[in-house]
Amino acid sequence: MAGLTLTEIIMAQQSGRDSVRPGELVWADVNSIMTMDYLGKSTFNIFDSLGAKDLFDRDKVICVSDHLVPPPTEAFANLLNEWREIVKAHNVTHFYDFGKQGIAHQIMVEDGHVLPGTISIGTDSHANSYGAVGAVGNAVSVTDAAVAMATGKGWFRVPETVKFHITGKWQPWVMGKDLSLHIMNMMHWNGDLIYKALEYDGPAMSDLSMGGRISLCNMTVDLGAKNGIVAPDDKTQAYLNGVAKGDWEMMSSDSNAEYEAEYEIDISNVGPVVAKPDNLDDVVTVDEVVGTKLNQIFIGTCTNGRVEDFGIAAAILEGKQVHPDINMLMVPASQTQYLEAMEKGYVSTLVKAGVAIGTSGCAPCFGTHRGVAGDGDVVLSAGNRNMKGRMGSKSAEIYLTSPAVCAASALTGRIADPRDLPMPKNFGVTYGE
Amino acid sequence: MANNLKGTVWKAEGYVFAYDIIKQEFWTSALDKEENSKWVMGGVHPDFDQENGFKSNGYSFIVAGHNFAGGGKSIEHVITGLMGAGIKAVIAESFSRLQFRNAINYGLPFITCKGIEAIASTGDELEVDPISGQIKNLSTGKEIQAAPVAPFVAEVAEAGGLISYIQNVIKEGKVDELR
Repeated sequence: MAGLTLTEIIMAQQSGRDSVRPGELVWADVNSIMTMDYLGKSTFNIFDSLGAKDLFDRDKVICVSDHLVPPPTEAFANLLNEWREIVKAHNVTHFYDFGKQGIAHQIMVEDGHVLPGTISIGTDSHANSYGAVGAVGNAVSVTDAAVAMATGKGWFRVPETVKFHITGKWQPWVMGKDLSLHIMNMMHWNGDLIYKALEYDGPAMSDLSMGGRISLCNMTVDLGAKNGIVAPDDKTQAYLNGVAKGDWEMMSSDSNAEYEAEYEIDISNVGPVVAKPDNLDDVVTVDEVVGTKLNQIFIGTCTNGRVEDFGIAAAILEGKQVHPDINMLMVPASQTQYLEAMEKGYVSTLVKAGVAIGTSGCAPCFGTHRGVAGDGDVVLSAGNRNMKGRMGSKSAEIYLTSPAVCAASALTGRIADPRDLPMPKNFGVTYGE
Repeated sequence: MANNLKGTVWKAEGYVFAYDIIKQEFWTSALDKEENSKWVMGGVHPDFDQENGFKSNGYSFIVAGHNFAGGGKSIEHVITGLMGAGIKAVIAESFSRLQFRNAINYGLPFITCKGIEAIASTGDELEVDPISGQIKNLSTGKEIQAAPVAPFVAEVAEAGGLISYIQNVIKEGKVDELR
């Protein structure tokens, strides 16, 4: 009998089955459910209509203020107040409100609400990030989240699994984001990965930091996939040590698991890449766009707003100045990431270089907060989406890339290849170790 | 869920995005089958971009290719709009994950069928059994086997959607039996 992939093993275990087949629909236990400020009220309203006496587990419904904080308009402020009221009325244990806030996906992972070998869901598309610690992480509708809040369960279609086996050695300055965009270029957002589970393994995955794994799994939703997953290893264990909200065990795909397709990528051959404006899969190597004039640079979001992203930017900008034509904004993905970046000295290095630091949260990624793009702006962003109007004006152009390319480009005001820079003395970022 | 659906088909020429099924100006409308159906499919074809432009054709089925209703929009108006316009099932090579979930949650059969595009044309009469996956083209006599719809999907449709299905499950104290 053929073995199971990690995603299939998790779906089988969590639905009380010995085995599952791709295409099958199962009801499975959900370990944690995330909802956040702008959809949370609808989620709780549907929950209230279901007739459940209480949440299935008040420790497992995680509420986060991220899209609306700090409220830039009266309308947002009012929404936020309604959200706080409904969260408090439901007596949840973990409410990450303003002051303790961050992007929900970052908080779910960094604060141990996602456990390897379980299923966690959230009412925002980038809930796929949870796969970085070896869980099945899924974006769901408010109805699905409300049902899980009442029952502790959700229905799931067991996906076919596609494997990406990553070999070779990471070049300096190449990050998880580059691999993510490289795969986008190979597979396309509307290609053969629709509704699939994407499993990443191989020696170069062992070398990739937890932050890099989050970037990689985060953007699997933008490939149309159901989830992205990296089997837990020693790095996962170290990362979750002391924060995991529950026990978990190491697990991986069966050695005779059946994959729908398998691809091998030698990471030694992948350099920094850039997605050109409007289409996520219009990805080119950085040298094809070197010299493109910019006026805004943004590093942040659930894709690239972590300590290592601040670290790599600080390594490049230390003792230097952001080009006068550039507005450069960096926004930590959470207060925890902010504090650590500050304690490591990255924040002061960046501020001295002329970088503005925003309040932890989703910030201008989806075009409503401080730092939006105006008419004709040319933005280089370490975020996850570049469609017209995503960050504000429909006539703004958004290039997507890694924090390393963003920081290197800040020096000249034009897209630059970080590999052309001298290796900084303080180069201690652990993304490739 | 009815097991012998009959009616005429509209076949998509090319890829159908969720945000062409419901154009952006309607994304924040209230969820209402009747209201959402008036402008449904408005972005798919110029003929449909008028009030009841799609609905007035009286189609019962949509046949489509890869990743039907994709593009990353989770808006449920896609499903309520199609249901309000009289669509009884969508048969496609594959579906976007978000809209596949919404369809099941509302009880609209989304039937996965490799090869469906080759055996159906706009205006053909189809007979579709979602439970067995049998699809007959009554206009041409051709038949094809689709993936049968899971029993759970039929149960949700019978209940009138996931919310009422779960209300019943909770009322009857049967949460532990959900598997």
